[in-house]
Amino acid sequence: MFNDFFKKMMGSKGDNSRDVAKKRLKFALIYDKLEVSDDTLNNLHRDIVEVISRYFEIDQEAFKLDIRRSDELSALIVNTPILSAKHRNGRADV
Amino acid sequence: MTTELTTEINMRCDLEGRIIVITSGKGGVGKTTATASIGAALALEGKRVVVVDMDIGLRNLDVVMGLENRIIFNIVDAVKGKCKLRQASVKDRRIDNLYLIPASQSDNKDVLNPREMTDFSGELRKEFDYVLMDCPAGIERGFENSVAAADEAIVICAPEVSSVRDADRIIGLLYSRSITPKLVVNRIVPEMVERGDMLNHLDVVDVLSIELIGLVPMDDQVVVSTNTGTPLVLQKKSPAGEAFCRIARRIDGMTDLPIEVPRTDQRLWKKIAGKFGFGK
Repeated sequence: MFNDFFKKMMGSKGDNSRDVAKKRLKFALIYDKLEVSDDTLNNLHRDIVEVISRYFEIDQEAFKLDIRRSDELSALIVNTPILSAKHRNGRADV
Repeated sequence: MTTELTTEINMRCDLEGRIIVITSGKGGVGKTTATASIGAALALEGKRVVVVDMDIGLRNLDVVMGLENRIIFNIVDAVKGKCKLRQASVKDRRIDNLYLIPASQSDNKDVLNPREMTDFSGELRKEFDYVLMDCPAGIERGFENSVAAADEAIVICAPEVSSVRDADRIIGLLYSRSITPKLVVNRIVPEMVERGDMLNHLDVVDVLSIELIGLVPMDDQVVVSTNTGTPLVLQKKSPAGEAFCRIARRIDGMTDLPIEVPRTDQRLWKKIAGKFGFGK
Protein backbone atom coordinates (compact mmCIF):
# COMPACT_ATOMS: atom_id res chain seq x y z
CA MET A 1 0.00 0.00 0.00
CA PHE A 2 1.85 3.10 1.19
CA ASN A 3 5.06 1.10 1.30
CA ASP A 4 4.62 0.36 -2.38
CA PHE A 5 3.95 4.01 -2.99
CA PHE A 6 7.16 5.05 -1.28
CA LYS A 7 9.09 2.34 -3.05
CA LYS A 8 7.80 3.67 -6.33
CA MET A 9 8.78 7.20 -5.36
CA MET A 10 12.26 6.10 -4.39
CA GLY A 11 12.51 4.04 -7.54
CA SER A 12 14.14 1.28 -5.50
CA LYS A 13 12.27 -1.50 -7.23
CA GLY A 14 14.16 -2.66 -10.26
CA ASP A 15 13.52 -6.13 -11.61
CA ASN A 16 10.21 -7.84 -11.39
CA SER A 17 10.90 -11.20 -9.76
CA ARG A 18 7.85 -12.77 -11.32
CA ASP A 19 9.26 -12.24 -14.81
CA VAL A 20 12.60 -13.64 -13.72
CA ALA A 21 10.85 -16.68 -12.25
CA LYS A 22 8.89 -17.33 -15.41
CA LYS A 23 11.93 -17.03 -17.62
CA ARG A 24 14.03 -19.33 -15.45
CA LEU A 25 11.20 -21.81 -15.25
CA LYS A 26 10.74 -22.00 -19.00
CA PHE A 27 14.43 -22.65 -19.54
CA ALA A 28 14.57 -25.19 -16.76
CA LEU A 29 11.73 -27.14 -18.34
CA ILE A 30 13.30 -27.03 -21.78
CA TYR A 31 16.57 -28.32 -20.34
CA ASP A 32 14.80 -31.00 -18.35
CA LYS A 33 13.16 -32.32 -21.47
CA LEU A 34 16.43 -32.35 -23.40
CA GLU A 35 18.17 -34.32 -20.73
CA VAL A 36 19.39 -37.56 -22.24
CA SER A 37 20.25 -40.58 -20.15
CA ASP A 38 23.73 -42.10 -20.25
CA ASP A 39 22.33 -45.26 -21.81
CA THR A 40 20.87 -43.33 -24.71
CA LEU A 41 24.11 -41.48 -25.26
CA ASN A 42 26.13 -44.69 -25.21
CA ASN A 43 23.81 -46.35 -27.70
CA LEU A 44 23.93 -43.31 -29.96
CA HIS A 45 27.73 -43.30 -29.72
CA ARG A 46 27.90 -46.96 -30.74
CA ASP A 47 25.48 -46.52 -33.65
CA ILE A 48 27.19 -43.45 -35.04
CA VAL A 49 30.61 -45.09 -34.88
CA GLU A 50 29.16 -48.07 -36.71
CA VAL A 51 27.63 -45.96 -39.50
CA ILE A 52 30.69 -43.76 -40.00
CA SER A 53 32.95 -46.80 -40.01
CA ARG A 54 31.18 -48.06 -43.12
CA TYR A 55 32.55 -45.10 -45.03
CA PHE A 56 35.67 -44.05 -43.17
CA GLU A 57 38.41 -45.54 -41.14
CA ILE A 58 38.13 -43.56 -37.91
CA ASP A 59 40.04 -43.32 -34.67
CA GLN A 60 37.45 -44.83 -32.37
CA GLU A 61 39.37 -43.86 -29.25
CA ALA A 62 39.34 -40.20 -30.18
CA PHE A 63 35.67 -40.19 -31.24
CA LYS A 64 33.71 -37.62 -29.23
CA LEU A 65 29.98 -37.17 -28.83
CA ASP A 66 28.58 -34.24 -26.92
CA ILE A 67 25.37 -32.31 -26.42
CA ARG A 68 25.84 -28.58 -26.10
CA ARG A 69 23.12 -26.25 -24.95
CA SER A 70 22.67 -22.56 -25.23
CA ASP A 71 19.66 -20.35 -24.53
CA GLU A 72 18.23 -20.71 -27.99
CA LEU A 73 19.15 -24.18 -29.11
CA SER A 74 20.84 -27.44 -28.37
CA ALA A 75 23.38 -29.05 -30.63
CA LEU A 76 24.66 -32.54 -30.97
CA ILE A 77 28.37 -32.32 -31.63
CA VAL A 78 30.25 -35.24 -33.11
CA ASN A 79 33.98 -34.96 -33.51
CA THR A 80 36.13 -37.69 -34.97
CA PRO A 81 39.52 -37.90 -36.63
CA ILE A 82 39.33 -39.64 -40.01
CA LEU A 83 42.25 -41.97 -40.70
CA SER A 84 41.30 -42.82 -44.27
CA ALA A 85 38.35 -43.16 -46.62
CA LYS A 86 37.12 -46.61 -47.40
CA HIS A 87 36.94 -47.41 -51.10
CA ARG A 88 33.61 -48.09 -52.60
CA ASN A 89 34.23 -51.67 -53.54
CA GLY A 90 35.46 -52.15 -50.02
CA ARG A 91 31.88 -52.47 -48.78
CA ALA A 92 29.53 -52.44 -51.74
CA ASP A 93 28.84 -56.14 -52.20
CA VAL A 94 29.01 -57.24 -48.61
CA MET B 1 -34.29 -46.43 7.29
CA THR B 2 -34.58 -49.65 5.32
CA THR B 3 -36.03 -47.92 2.27
CA GLU B 4 -33.34 -45.31 2.43
CA LEU B 5 -30.71 -48.00 2.49
CA THR B 6 -32.13 -49.90 -0.46
CA THR B 7 -32.38 -46.79 -2.61
CA GLU B 8 -28.79 -46.03 -1.78
CA ILE B 9 -27.73 -49.52 -2.75
CA ASN B 10 -29.73 -49.29 -5.97
CA MET B 11 -28.09 -46.02 -6.80
CA ARG B 12 -24.65 -47.44 -6.14
CA CYS B 13 -25.22 -50.48 -8.30
CA ASP B 14 -25.31 -48.66 -11.57
CA LEU B 15 -22.64 -46.12 -10.74
CA GLU B 16 -19.06 -46.97 -9.89
CA GLY B 17 -17.08 -44.50 -7.83
CA ARG B 18 -14.40 -42.26 -9.26
CA ILE B 19 -10.82 -42.62 -8.08
CA ILE B 20 -8.91 -39.35 -8.12
CA VAL B 21 -5.25 -39.08 -7.20
CA ILE B 22 -4.05 -35.81 -5.71
CA THR B 23 -0.41 -35.31 -6.44
CA SER B 24 2.29 -32.66 -6.89
CA GLY B 25 5.73 -34.15 -7.15
CA LYS B 26 7.21 -31.67 -4.72
CA GLY B 27 6.41 -31.92 -1.03
CA GLY B 28 4.88 -29.19 1.06
CA VAL B 29 2.66 -27.57 -1.55
CA GLY B 30 -0.60 -28.61 0.10
CA LYS B 31 -1.60 -32.05 -1.18
CA THR B 32 -2.78 -33.29 2.18
CA THR B 33 -4.75 -30.13 2.97
CA ALA B 34 -6.27 -30.26 -0.50
CA THR B 35 -7.22 -33.93 -0.15
CA ALA B 36 -8.81 -33.40 3.26
CA SER B 37 -10.65 -30.26 2.15
CA ILE B 38 -11.92 -31.47 -1.23
CA GLY B 39 -12.95 -34.76 0.37
CA ALA B 40 -14.86 -32.97 3.12
CA ALA B 41 -16.49 -30.62 0.62
CA LEU B 42 -17.63 -33.51 -1.61
CA ALA B 43 -19.09 -35.24 1.45
CA LEU B 44 -20.94 -32.04 2.36
CA GLU B 45 -22.42 -32.19 -1.15
CA GLY B 46 -23.92 -35.51 -0.11
CA LYS B 47 -21.47 -37.91 -1.73
CA ARG B 48 -19.95 -40.94 -0.07
CA VAL B 49 -16.26 -40.09 0.10
CA VAL B 50 -13.14 -41.85 1.27
CA VAL B 51 -9.76 -40.15 1.46
CA VAL B 52 -6.83 -42.55 1.39
CA ASP B 53 -3.44 -41.67 2.86
CA MET B 54 -0.89 -43.27 0.54
CA ASP B 55 2.13 -41.81 2.36
CA ILE B 56 3.06 -45.08 4.02
CA GLY B 57 5.58 -44.57 6.80
CA LEU B 58 4.87 -40.84 7.08
CA ARG B 59 1.15 -40.60 7.62
CA ASN B 60 -0.36 -37.16 8.11
CA LEU B 61 -3.82 -37.05 6.62
CA ASP B 62 -5.18 -38.48 9.89
CA VAL B 63 -3.89 -35.56 12.00
CA VAL B 64 -4.96 -32.97 9.43
CA MET B 65 -8.47 -34.43 9.64
CA GLY B 66 -8.37 -34.82 13.42
CA LEU B 67 -8.97 -38.57 13.28
CA GLU B 68 -5.60 -39.76 14.60
CA ASN B 69 -7.01 -41.16 17.84
CA ARG B 70 -9.42 -43.52 16.17
CA ILE B 71 -7.13 -45.54 13.93
CA ILE B 72 -7.24 -49.29 14.32
CA PHE B 73 -6.48 -50.67 10.87
CA ASN B 74 -4.80 -49.04 7.90
CA ILE B 75 -4.47 -49.21 4.11
CA VAL B 76 -1.85 -51.96 4.24
CA ASP B 77 -4.12 -54.15 6.41
CA ALA B 78 -7.02 -53.56 4.02
CA VAL B 79 -5.03 -54.25 0.83
CA LYS B 80 -3.41 -57.38 2.31
CA GLY B 81 -6.81 -58.66 3.44
CA LYS B 82 -5.99 -58.53 7.16
CA CYS B 83 -9.21 -56.56 7.71
CA LYS B 84 -12.35 -55.58 5.84
CA LEU B 85 -12.48 -52.33 3.92
CA ARG B 86 -15.14 -51.07 6.34
CA GLN B 87 -12.92 -51.80 9.34
CA ALA B 88 -10.08 -49.77 7.88
CA SER B 89 -12.36 -46.81 7.05
CA VAL B 90 -12.47 -44.33 9.93
CA LYS B 91 -15.73 -42.40 9.89
CA ASP B 92 -15.63 -38.66 10.42
CA ARG B 93 -18.08 -37.72 13.17
CA ARG B 94 -18.61 -34.12 12.03
CA ILE B 95 -19.29 -34.72 8.37
CA ASP B 96 -21.59 -37.51 7.23
CA ASN B 97 -20.37 -39.83 4.50
CA LEU B 98 -16.72 -38.87 4.98
CA TYR B 99 -14.22 -41.65 5.68
CA LEU B 100 -10.46 -41.91 6.05
CA ILE B 101 -8.26 -44.88 5.32
CA PRO B 102 -5.02 -44.03 7.11
CA ALA B 103 -1.53 -45.01 5.99
CA SER B 104 0.46 -47.52 7.96
CA GLN B 105 3.13 -45.86 10.05
CA SER B 106 5.42 -48.87 10.59
CA ASP B 107 5.88 -50.09 7.01
CA ASN B 108 7.61 -48.51 4.05
CA LYS B 109 6.26 -47.82 0.57
CA ASP B 110 7.51 -51.09 -0.91
CA VAL B 111 5.07 -53.05 1.21
CA LEU B 112 2.43 -52.38 -1.47
CA ASN B 113 2.68 -52.68 -5.23
CA PRO B 114 0.64 -51.12 -8.06
CA ARG B 115 -1.01 -54.43 -8.93
CA GLU B 116 -2.36 -54.94 -5.43
CA MET B 117 -3.68 -51.39 -5.50
CA THR B 118 -5.48 -51.97 -8.80
CA ASP B 119 -7.08 -55.12 -7.39
CA PHE B 120 -8.12 -53.30 -4.24
CA SER B 121 -9.60 -50.37 -6.17
CA GLY B 122 -12.58 -52.43 -7.31
CA GLU B 123 -13.72 -52.71 -3.71
CA LEU B 124 -13.27 -48.96 -3.15
CA ARG B 125 -15.29 -48.11 -6.25
CA LYS B 126 -18.20 -50.25 -5.10
CA GLU B 127 -18.29 -48.71 -1.65
CA PHE B 128 -17.78 -45.00 -2.40
CA ASP B 129 -18.75 -42.29 -4.91
CA TYR B 130 -15.36 -40.62 -4.61
CA VAL B 131 -12.01 -42.07 -3.63
CA LEU B 132 -9.32 -39.42 -3.16
CA MET B 133 -5.76 -40.73 -3.04
CA ASP B 134 -3.36 -38.49 -1.12
CA CYS B 135 -0.16 -39.23 -3.03
CA PRO B 136 3.22 -38.91 -1.28
CA ALA B 137 5.86 -36.54 -2.65
CA GLY B 138 8.28 -38.02 -5.13
CA ILE B 139 7.97 -40.18 -8.22
CA GLU B 140 8.88 -43.55 -6.72
CA ARG B 141 6.83 -46.47 -5.47
CA GLY B 142 4.45 -44.35 -3.41
CA PHE B 143 3.50 -42.41 -6.53
CA GLU B 144 3.17 -45.60 -8.59
CA ASN B 145 0.89 -47.14 -5.98
CA SER B 146 -1.30 -44.04 -5.74
CA VAL B 147 -1.67 -43.65 -9.49
CA ALA B 148 -2.14 -47.33 -10.33
CA ALA B 149 -5.87 -47.40 -9.76
CA ALA B 150 -6.72 -43.77 -10.49
CA ASP B 151 -9.08 -42.66 -13.24
CA GLU B 152 -8.32 -38.98 -12.81
CA ALA B 153 -5.65 -36.77 -11.29
CA ILE B 154 -5.46 -33.36 -9.71
CA VAL B 155 -2.04 -31.74 -9.67
CA ILE B 156 -1.47 -29.27 -6.84
CA CYS B 157 1.07 -26.60 -7.64
CA ALA B 158 2.33 -23.54 -5.76
CA PRO B 159 3.25 -20.48 -7.83
CA GLU B 160 6.99 -20.91 -7.44
CA VAL B 161 9.70 -22.19 -9.74
CA SER B 162 10.53 -25.45 -7.96
CA SER B 163 6.92 -26.49 -7.54
CA VAL B 164 5.96 -25.75 -11.16
CA ARG B 165 8.97 -27.66 -12.45
CA ASP B 166 8.08 -30.74 -10.41
CA ALA B 167 4.44 -30.43 -11.45
CA ASP B 168 5.55 -30.49 -15.08
CA ARG B 169 7.42 -33.73 -14.49
CA ILE B 170 4.44 -35.29 -12.72
CA ILE B 171 2.10 -34.21 -15.53
CA GLY B 172 4.36 -35.98 -18.02
CA LEU B 173 4.26 -39.16 -15.94
CA LEU B 174 0.47 -38.98 -15.67
CA TYR B 175 0.06 -38.51 -19.43
CA SER B 176 2.22 -41.58 -20.00
CA ARG B 177 -0.35 -43.49 -17.95
CA SER B 178 -3.19 -42.07 -20.07
CA ILE B 179 -4.41 -39.78 -17.30
CA THR B 180 -5.18 -36.16 -18.22
CA PRO B 181 -4.64 -34.21 -15.00
CA LYS B 182 -6.31 -31.01 -13.87
CA LEU B 183 -4.52 -28.20 -12.08
CA VAL B 184 -5.02 -26.46 -8.75
CA VAL B 185 -2.78 -23.48 -8.08
CA ASN B 186 -2.44 -23.32 -4.30
CA ARG B 187 -0.94 -20.78 -1.90
CA ILE B 188 -1.47 -17.73 -4.04
CA VAL B 189 -0.50 -14.51 -2.24
CA PRO B 190 -2.53 -11.84 -4.07
CA GLU B 191 -0.40 -8.97 -2.71
CA MET B 192 2.75 -10.52 -4.14
CA VAL B 193 1.07 -11.28 -7.46
CA GLU B 194 -0.10 -7.68 -7.73
CA ARG B 195 3.37 -6.43 -6.87
CA GLY B 196 4.83 -8.65 -9.59
CA ASP B 197 6.77 -10.77 -7.10
CA MET B 198 4.90 -14.01 -7.62
CA LEU B 199 3.97 -16.00 -10.70
CA ASN B 200 0.29 -15.46 -11.37
CA HIS B 201 -2.04 -18.30 -12.23
CA LEU B 202 -1.92 -17.48 -15.94
CA ASP B 203 1.86 -17.90 -15.91
CA VAL B 204 1.51 -21.31 -14.29
CA VAL B 205 -1.21 -22.45 -16.69
CA ASP B 206 0.85 -21.12 -19.60
CA VAL B 207 3.89 -23.16 -18.58
CA LEU B 208 2.05 -26.37 -17.65
CA SER B 209 -0.71 -26.09 -20.27
CA ILE B 210 -3.31 -28.28 -18.56
CA GLU B 211 -6.87 -27.46 -17.58
CA LEU B 212 -7.27 -25.32 -14.47
CA ILE B 213 -9.82 -26.47 -11.91
CA GLY B 214 -9.23 -24.01 -9.07
CA LEU B 215 -7.20 -21.24 -7.48
CA VAL B 216 -6.56 -21.27 -3.74
CA PRO B 217 -5.20 -18.29 -1.82
CA MET B 218 -2.65 -18.53 0.98
CA ASP B 219 -4.70 -18.65 4.16
CA ASP B 220 -3.70 -18.55 7.86
CA GLN B 221 -6.78 -20.63 8.61
CA VAL B 222 -5.05 -23.67 7.09
CA VAL B 223 -2.56 -23.70 9.98
CA VAL B 224 -5.34 -23.07 12.50
CA SER B 225 -7.46 -25.92 11.16
CA THR B 226 -4.47 -28.28 11.11
CA ASN B 227 -3.62 -27.27 14.69
CA THR B 228 -7.07 -28.25 15.88
CA GLY B 229 -7.82 -31.04 13.42
CA THR B 230 -11.04 -29.44 12.23
CA PRO B 231 -11.98 -29.52 8.55
CA LEU B 232 -10.98 -26.33 6.77
CA VAL B 233 -14.26 -26.27 4.86
CA LEU B 234 -16.16 -25.98 8.16
CA GLN B 235 -14.15 -22.91 9.24
CA LYS B 236 -16.04 -19.72 8.80
CA LYS B 237 -14.41 -17.10 6.63
CA SER B 238 -11.63 -19.29 5.31
CA PRO B 239 -10.82 -18.15 1.76
CA ALA B 240 -8.88 -21.37 1.10
CA GLY B 241 -11.76 -23.46 2.46
CA GLU B 242 -14.21 -21.69 0.17
CA ALA B 243 -11.90 -22.20 -2.80
CA PHE B 244 -11.69 -25.95 -2.06
CA CYS B 245 -15.50 -26.11 -1.82
CA ARG B 246 -15.80 -24.61 -5.29
CA ILE B 247 -13.20 -27.06 -6.60
CA ALA B 248 -15.24 -29.92 -5.16
CA ARG B 249 -18.37 -28.65 -6.93
CA ARG B 250 -16.50 -28.44 -10.21
CA ILE B 251 -15.26 -32.01 -9.78
CA ASP B 252 -18.82 -33.05 -9.02
CA GLY B 253 -20.17 -31.78 -12.31
CA MET B 254 -20.65 -28.02 -11.92
CA THR B 255 -18.11 -27.41 -14.64
CA ASP B 256 -19.41 -23.95 -15.45
CA LEU B 257 -18.79 -22.61 -11.93
CA PRO B 258 -16.44 -19.68 -12.57
CA ILE B 259 -12.92 -19.84 -11.19
CA GLU B 260 -12.39 -16.92 -8.86
CA VAL B 261 -9.00 -15.25 -8.87
CA PRO B 262 -7.81 -14.49 -5.32
CA ARG B 263 -7.53 -10.74 -4.78
CA THR B 264 -6.26 -8.50 -2.04
CA ASP B 265 -9.03 -7.31 0.23
CA GLN B 266 -9.88 -3.83 -0.94
CA ARG B 267 -10.10 -1.72 2.18
CA LEU B 268 -11.81 1.62 1.91
CA TRP B 269 -8.81 3.84 2.36
CA LYS B 270 -6.84 1.74 -0.09
CA LYS B 271 -9.61 2.17 -2.63
CA ILE B 272 -9.41 5.91 -2.08
CA ALA B 273 -5.64 5.76 -2.49
CA GLY B 274 -6.20 3.80 -5.67
CA LYS B 275 -8.49 6.51 -6.98
CA PHE B 276 -5.72 9.02 -6.59
CA GLY B 277 -3.43 6.84 -8.62
CA PHE B 278 -0.99 5.56 -6.03
CA GLY B 279 -2.69 2.44 -4.80
CA LYS B 280 -0.42 0.12 -6.67
